[in-house]
Amino acid sequence: MKIVRIAAAGAAVALALTACSSGDDGGSSGSDGTAEAADITLWLAGADTPDELRDYLKTTFEEENPGSTLTIEEQDWNDLVTKLTTALPDENNTPDVVEIGNTQSPTFTTIGAFRDLTPLYDELGGDDLLPSFVEVGQADGKNYALPYYFGSRYMFYRPDVWSAAGVEKPTTLAEFGDAVTALNNGTQSGFAIGGQDWRNGISWVFANGGELATEDGGEWTSTLSDPNTITGLEQWQAVYEGASNVPATERDVAYWDFLNDGTDGAAPAAATIMAPGWARWSIGDLTTNDDGEEVRDGMADTSKFGIFALPGTDGGLAPVFAGGSNIAISAKSQHPELSENLLRIIFSEEYQTMLGENGLGPANAQYVDSLGDDEFATTMIETAAASKLTPAAPGWAAVEAAFVYEELFQAIAEGGDVTALAAEYDERITPMLNGS
Amino acid sequence: MSATVAAPATPAPPSAGARGTDARAPLTGARVARRVRGVLLGLLAVVIALLWAFPVYWMVLSSLLPNARLRSTTPTFFPTGATLGNYRSVLSGDSFTSALGMSLAITGLTVVAVLVFAFFAALAISRFRFRGRLTFVVAVLFVQMLPAEGLFIAQYRMLSSANLLNSVVGVSILYTAAVVPFTIWMLRGFVAGVPIELEEAAMVDGLSRTKAFLRITFPLLAPGLVASGVYAFLQAWNEFTVALVALPAESARTLPLWLRSFLASSASRGVDWGEVMAASTLIAVPVIVFFLLVQGRMTSGLVSGAVKG
Amino acid sequence: MPSTEAPTAPPAAPPARPTPRRRRRGPGAAPYVLIVPALAVLLAGLGYPLFWQAVTSLQEFGLAQQFGQPPTFVGLDNYARIFSDERLWAVVVRSILFCLVNAFATVGIGVLLALLMKAVHPAIRIVLQIGLLLAWAMPMVAAVTVWKWLFDWRTGVINWVLVQMGFDRYEGHTWLAQPLSFFFVATVIIVWMSVPFVALSVYAALTQVSDEVLEAARIDGAGPTRIFWHITLPLVRPVLSIVLLLQIIWDLRVFAQIRLLQDAGAPVSETNLLGNFIFELGIGRQDFAGAAAVSIFVLALTVLISWPYVRNLLKEDA
Repeated sequence: MKIVRIAAAGAAVALALTACSSGDDGGSSGSDGTAEAADITLWLAGADTPDELRDYLKTTFEEENPGSTLTIEEQDWNDLVTKLTTALPDENNTPDVVEIGNTQSPTFTTIGAFRDLTPLYDELGGDDLLPSFVEVGQADGKNYALPYYFGSRYMFYRPDVWSAAGVEKPTTLAEFGDAVTALNNGTQSGFAIGGQDWRNGISWVFANGGELATEDGGEWTSTLSDPNTITGLEQWQAVYEGASNVPATERDVAYWDFLNDGTDGAAPAAATIMAPGWARWSIGDLTTNDDGEEVRDGMADTSKFGIFALPGTDGGLAPVFAGGSNIAISAKSQHPELSENLLRIIFSEEYQTMLGENGLGPANAQYVDSLGDDEFATTMIETAAASKLTPAAPGWAAVEAAFVYEELFQAIAEGGDVTALAAEYDERITPMLNGS
Repeated sequence: MSATVAAPATPAPPSAGARGTDARAPLTGARVARRVRGVLLGLLAVVIALLWAFPVYWMVLSSLLPNARLRSTTPTFFPTGATLGNYRSVLSGDSFTSALGMSLAITGLTVVAVLVFAFFAALAISRFRFRGRLTFVVAVLFVQMLPAEGLFIAQYRMLSSANLLNSVVGVSILYTAAVVPFTIWMLRGFVAGVPIELEEAAMVDGLSRTKAFLRITFPLLAPGLVASGVYAFLQAWNEFTVALVALPAESARTLPLWLRSFLASSASRGVDWGEVMAASTLIAVPVIVFFLLVQGRMTSGLVSGAVKG
Repeated sequence: MPSTEAPTAPPAAPPARPTPRRRRRGPGAAPYVLIVPALAVLLAGLGYPLFWQAVTSLQEFGLAQQFGQPPTFVGLDNYARIFSDERLWAVVVRSILFCLVNAFATVGIGVLLALLMKAVHPAIRIVLQIGLLLAWAMPMVAAVTVWKWLFDWRTGVINWVLVQMGFDRYEGHTWLAQPLSFFFVATVIIVWMSVPFVALSVYAALTQVSDEVLEAARIDGAGPTRIFWHITLPLVRPVLSIVLLLQIIWDLRVFAQIRLLQDAGAPVSETNLLGNFIFELGIGRQDFAGAAAVSIFVLALTVLISWPYVRNLLKEDA
């Protein structure tokens, strides 16, 4: 019978604790600054952290903390909240350090699931850390979760299609809307976006200075009816109706397929899409890799494939919703010193640089140069500075779990009256944000 | 494949001789009509069989095609240009073998536990009248109506306090509890269908009670046990919501969890259908093999049951 | 039709094994020893969680309580809150309808396929059985994934075939967008998955119907329809009723299939079934007390719905 590692580790921990409390001449506890040797667990979400970085974390941690080991477990994004909900309160089985989606952070920071990292804040990077991510990990003025990495969204487009139609690259958000509407010919979307795709859609809200919700004295209020938000939503509605042929019910669409040529050289299904940076590896002409498989060439042909950042209303950059995640230590961790040591490694120059080299935006602004200086890197750095996050409300995860914004955006995409919808959904969302 | 639910009432045994009558009937117009009807029904049956198996065919087919082809809006129906590339990338790393081992251990333990426990309980409720019998029967039926979606936290806490998280035993207890009620119902019919007189007659002939049970009753129960085993196997093999909380460690993943995480990591980058289908095929294959293995047993069990009954 | 094993089997019953239940002189400890293992595993696996559900449904229990804050007893507040939520009732009605449609469709198609198996040549029967077996052996996650893809609006085979057949409006048709067509797809998948079990069970029961009886009826001039309704059906009725009961229980608990399909963009609040509602309440919104209250309510509801069947089964059993 196979009793797997964590259970055994749990038992070991229990034994170690008893040994500690009964014997008075045992190993040193954390008092003299060196932590007692142990195995700690890091939960990473999804496959975004490459193996090279995981190996680095393991070997470095084990070198710097002799006798201790680091176990890295990969958790699925889909199940992360479920697993955190069950495991974090369980001191025998809690992971010590966890990666968590930036928008999921508030749910856990507000109920004391994480260890207070305020004392470490300056040491780990302080004000150089990406502000929007730091903010979403705060509760009552304390830092419970810090940024791990950020991603960005780009507009991927077909320069050949754009120039064939005589449309110029836009410099303002309004121009972008006009351009992609002009490009739409009924079968080829000017800009392919699903109606439910609010994570891309809220860029229009943010660009117009709108907010999804605001906080006042600990009370959250949904602000869809704010005039700026309404303007953004209406602008997005016009863009969707004019430029996209993707159904209003779609959200997680593999948009990158739309940009590729169809079978037998047929025209692509869209002239423009909005997607995270890694989408580039699913875009391009077909080629054969070393294993003899057909793959996309990663946009090698720049006359056919290109990117730009979504322009703002006044010509700058539109604030887009930033993907990425935070990192935190479980409040119930039995090895807080070791966990903090792990964070020191994660926020070190070396690891931050490695993140950048692998295309993940480093949390510390000093090291963003490591992303490189190609078009993707420069655009990513620009947009990150302008990026925004969803409200850090305790009930945010509940709103996401109930797919409320998906429904709202679908209703808008289907041509609903934005002002009426905004009022209706404000009423629905406000109580959810406050966790009741 | 044969008996899957025991008849609570045992219908009449087929009598020898009845089968032959048709063949000896004279060739009449009615017989020709019947033959035409037979051909049409046969065709219908084949079409239905193909329709039913199509999603399975589609899964296997897609697992053999390169991803770029699968993304096309014109489907490919035949495996021209098939490649094992999807299987290669799915099987790279040891996550599949570790999940396979975990699934086999959990499923094996669950099937054995379910068969033994359910058989004993079925014996008790169909061979004995005792106080609390009816309560037990009703409880067994109703307990499976509890929705599982709200149980996560309680189940996690229970396993955690018993130090059974990430263990084969822990999950197997939960699975056995989930499957046992139905199998008790299933076996109860089989046990009730075996006339106790047979056993007693054997004892009169000089066999001990145990021997009489093993030689006479047990073979008659075989199809029921196989059917229950198949059911338990399927449930334990396919389950993933309980496994999700009971087996949080990556190293303790079962196959459905492995497939799910595979699907999730694939989905965030645009589903690689070819690889997902290859992974699905790999999970389905052991079940199909198992079914083919027990199929013969089941049929022979039924035949011997029919002859002896 | 009462069970043939009942001591008072009516004389009109077709030839059956005489198996009068034997009353023993005081069973002693034997039956209790025999049920101990099953009882123990049930108590361990379901007893404690059920108890926890019942207790939690009477408390204020959210994420804060899960993280150690002591829960407070609130009596029936959670039930009052849940019952006054109109969404619950919408979900209840939807779930019951969905469950009944699916259960009857599954059993109906299953019976037809079982009759078909009985009617065709053994070789063809095996082909049909293998087709069904393959579907049955498909792991659920894999099955839903394949189906989702078959119904995909862009690359799905079903739209492609419909367009090839001349139904141009299915070009890019989104099957999962409208609740009704969403449930149609869900029904197709669930029926596809559950029919093999029913068909093979009913077929097994059919093989036990005596050919002599059927022949006798035929000689007496009964047509196939009459034979089906008056002889075959009553004989397989016990199997049918338990299969139907199980389908109803299982279809009321459908969760994962809906959840996986919703990921493809269905309007979630209009397609939730009871299981999804509980899941969303508990895991999604961390309202564990509310989820527990709904769970207990669903348990009661299922017991209520299935009670007539259970009473029948028990009567036959007594």
